[in-house]
Amino acid sequence: MFDNLKKKINIFESKVKEKTQEKASEEKEDKEKTQEQKQEQEQEQERASLGQKAKKFVTERKVFLDEDDVEPYLEELKLSLLKSDVALEVSEKIVEKLESNLVGEEIKWRENSEKYVKKAFKEALIDVFPSEFNFFDFIEEKDKPINILFVGTNGVGKTTTIAKISKALEEKGYSSVLANGDTFRAGAIQQLDKHGENIDKKVIKHEKGGDPAAVIYDAVEYSEANNVDVVLGDTAGRMHTDVNLMDQIKKIKRVTKPDLIVFVDEAVAGSDAVERAKEFDEAVDVDAVILSKIDADVKGGAAISISHTIEKPIIFVGTGQGYEDIKEFNTDWFVGQILE
Amino acid sequence: MVLDKLGSSLKNSVRKIVKKGRIDKETVNELATDIQRALLKSDVDVELVQELTDKIKDRALNEEPPKGASSREHVIRIVYEEMLEIVGEETEVPMEEQDIMLVGLQGSGKTTTAAKLANYFQKKGLKPGLICGDTFRPGAYNQLKELSQRIDSVFYGEKESEDAIQVVKNGLNELKDSKVRIVDTAGRHSLESDLIDEMEQINEVVEPDKKFLVIDASIGKGVKDQANSFNEAIGIDGVIITKLDGTAKGGGALTAVSEAETNIAFLGTGEKLNELEEFEPDSFISRLLGMGDIEKLAQRAEERLSEEEMDMESMMKGDITLKDVYNQLESINKLGPLNQIMSMIPGGFNLPDDALDVTKEKMQIYKIIMDSMTEEEMKNPQKINSSRVERIAKGSGTTRESVNELLKYHKMMKKVMKQMKGGRTPMKKMMKKFMG
Repeated sequence: MFDNLKKKINIFESKVKEKTQEKASEEKEDKEKTQEQKQEQEQEQERASLGQKAKKFVTERKVFLDEDDVEPYLEELKLSLLKSDVALEVSEKIVEKLESNLVGEEIKWRENSEKYVKKAFKEALIDVFPSEFNFFDFIEEKDKPINILFVGTNGVGKTTTIAKISKALEEKGYSSVLANGDTFRAGAIQQLDKHGENIDKKVIKHEKGGDPAAVIYDAVEYSEANNVDVVLGDTAGRMHTDVNLMDQIKKIKRVTKPDLIVFVDEAVAGSDAVERAKEFDEAVDVDAVILSKIDADVKGGAAISISHTIEKPIIFVGTGQGYEDIKEFNTDWFVGQILE
Repeated sequence: MVLDKLGSSLKNSVRKIVKKGRIDKETVNELATDIQRALLKSDVDVELVQELTDKIKDRALNEEPPKGASSREHVIRIVYEEMLEIVGEETEVPMEEQDIMLVGLQGSGKTTTAAKLANYFQKKGLKPGLICGDTFRPGAYNQLKELSQRIDSVFYGEKESEDAIQVVKNGLNELKDSKVRIVDTAGRHSLESDLIDEMEQINEVVEPDKKFLVIDASIGKGVKDQANSFNEAIGIDGVIITKLDGTAKGGGALTAVSEAETNIAFLGTGEKLNELEEFEPDSFISRLLGMGDIEKLAQRAEERLSEEEMDMESMMKGDITLKDVYNQLESINKLGPLNQIMSMIPGGFNLPDDALDVTKEKMQIYKIIMDSMTEEEMKNPQKINSSRVERIAKGSGTTRESVNELLKYHKMMKKVMKQMKGGRTPMKKMMKKFMG
C-alpha cells in the first residue's frame, strides 16, 4: 500500500548511511554488493546509481553528521514525501524534524547506522501522529445511545463508511441505527436505505430537502426509546468553502450534540486533504478521522498530512467496497508499512 | 479575485526582477522556487514540476526579451507559455450527435457530471439522454433519475439489474431519439480488475465517441497510475475535473492529462447542474499558480483596447454610456467584471465596498433590458424617462424596478470613472504599468 513511500525512505536511508560510511573511511566492497543488488530491483535506474554510490564506502569508525552531509538527501526525501501525497508543509516539517534528529549525532556505522536512521525517521514520523484512539473502547465506556456524526466533502465515501461501521459494531455486539442527514444529494436517501436493507439496519429519514439536524435528533430519540447503542449520522457532502453548508453542519452539531464527530476523507486525496481537514476541524472540532478508499493504490500520504494538520487520530481505514472492508488504524502498523 | 498568499509571493518575486532592472540568476532561482512551491501545493506531479521550472530557469536566463518588452513581462510570458505547454489546449466539443461515456474513481463525481453534461448539451439544443450504467452503488439509479428529472432529460436505468452491460445495451436502444447519449458508469479503481473488465465490455457495447475520465480536483499523486490504467483499458478522450469549487487546485488532473496524452475538457465548479465550464487553459493556469487571471487580463485587455470596443479614453473622461456598460457585460466572460479588473490594478481605488459587485444573474438581466433599448437611449441614457422605462420593461419582460436599477448602476459606473480620472495616472498607462 505504501510501497512507494517505503521505497523512497529506504533510498534515503541508504544515502545517509553512505554518508556516514563515506565519512568514516573507504573500503569493504562485497557486503555492499548484495544490498546494492537488492535495491536495484526496486529502484529506478537513477535511484539505483545513487544507491550504488551509497554503498561504495564502508568502514567502522564513529562519525558525526553535519548539515552538509544530509542536506542534499533531505531535499530528495522531501520530494519523495511529496510524491507520496504528503502535503508540502507537512513534508517540510517531517524533514526538518529528521534533520534535527540526525545532525550532530554520533554514529557507529557498523553496529547501527541503519537502525539509527530508521529510528530517527520513525521519531520524526510518529511525531506527526497524535495519540491513538480506541474506537471500541470508547463505544464500550460511553453512555448509550452514542451519537456519532460523520462529516466530509462530497464523494469521499461517508455513506458507505457508515454502513461499514454499523456492520463492525454489530460484530462487537452493539446495535446501531443509521440517520440520514443527507437531505440534499439526489439519491442519497435511497443509497442509505439500500445499505440499511443490505445490512439489516433501521434507517431514520425525513423527506428530501428536510432539516438534517432534525433527522439526527429523531434518530437519537428513537435510540433512547428502543435501547439502540449507537446513532450513525450521515450528512451531505459539502465543500469546506461553502459558508452556508458549513454553517449548517455547525447547526447540526449544536442541535444534536454528537458524542463523536468523525471526519471522513479519501486516501486518494492530495495536498487539499490538509485544507479541508483544517476547515472542518475549525467548524465543528473533529474528534477522529476515517480514511476511505485506501485500497485504490494510494500513496498513503493523506494519512500523514491530515493527522499532522488537525492532530486528531485516524480510527479506521476503508479498504474496499464490501461492508467488511474496514480496518482499525494503528500508528505502529502504519509507520511500519513505511519503514519495514 | 483569488489572490492568496501564494499568488502575492509569486507576484513579489516577479516584482523583484523589475526592481533589479536585469535578471540575475538568484532572482530567477527564487522565482522558480516559488513556482515550484505553488505547483507542488497544487498536487502537480513532482517530476513535471521539476521539468517545468528547469525550463523556466533556462529560458529566463538565456533568452533575450523581445524588443520593447520589459524583463518582467518577458518572465511572466515564459512562465505562462511553459505552463500552457503542460496544461494543453482546450478541447473542442463538437455540437453533433454523439455517445459519451464517463468513467472514474469512486466518488469523483461522475453521476453529477453526467447530468451536468446533459444539461450542457440541452442548452445547446441537442436532446440529451442519460443512461445509468452503475448497477453497483446503492442509490446511483435514483440519483441519476432524479437529476435527469431536474433538467428534464430522458433517462434510462434498471433499478434491480446487476448486469451493467445489459442495462447499457437496453438503454442505447431505448434512447435512440436522443442526440447526445451519456452513459454513467460505476466508480472503480485500477486494482479492481473485474470492474475494469466490466468497463471494457461497456466500452465495446457503447462504442462511445467520447470517453471522459472524471477526476476529483483534490486527487493526489495516485492519479498517475489510475489515469494510466483507465487509458490502457479503454482509451481516454478527455478529462473532466470536478469539485473545483473547493480549495483544491486540480494539479493532479495535469498528471492525468499528460499520462493519457489528452486534454482537459470540462471543469465542474459546483453542485448545481449548470456549474460546468468548458476548459480554458489560461484561467486554469492562473488558478494553479494562484496568480489571478493576470496573463489573461493582460492579453484580453490588449485585444479589447485595440479593438476599441470599450473606449477607455472617453470612459476616463466620464463619458460612459449605456453602450459601454453593455460592452462591458458582453465581455464579462472575456475580461471579467469591472470590479475584478479594478482589483487587479496596483494602487487600487477607493471604491465603495460592493459598489461594483453585481451578480452574474443581474448582469444577464441588464443585458436583456438593454437589448430592448434604442440606439439613442443607449448613447444618451438621460433621455430615458418614465414612459420609456415602462416600454423598456415591457419589451424586455422585466420590471420598472429592474430598469431603474440598471440606470442607477450606469450612473454609479460613471461616477467611479470620474473618480478614477481624478487620479494621477490615466487608465491606459496604468494598464501598461500593470502588465509590464
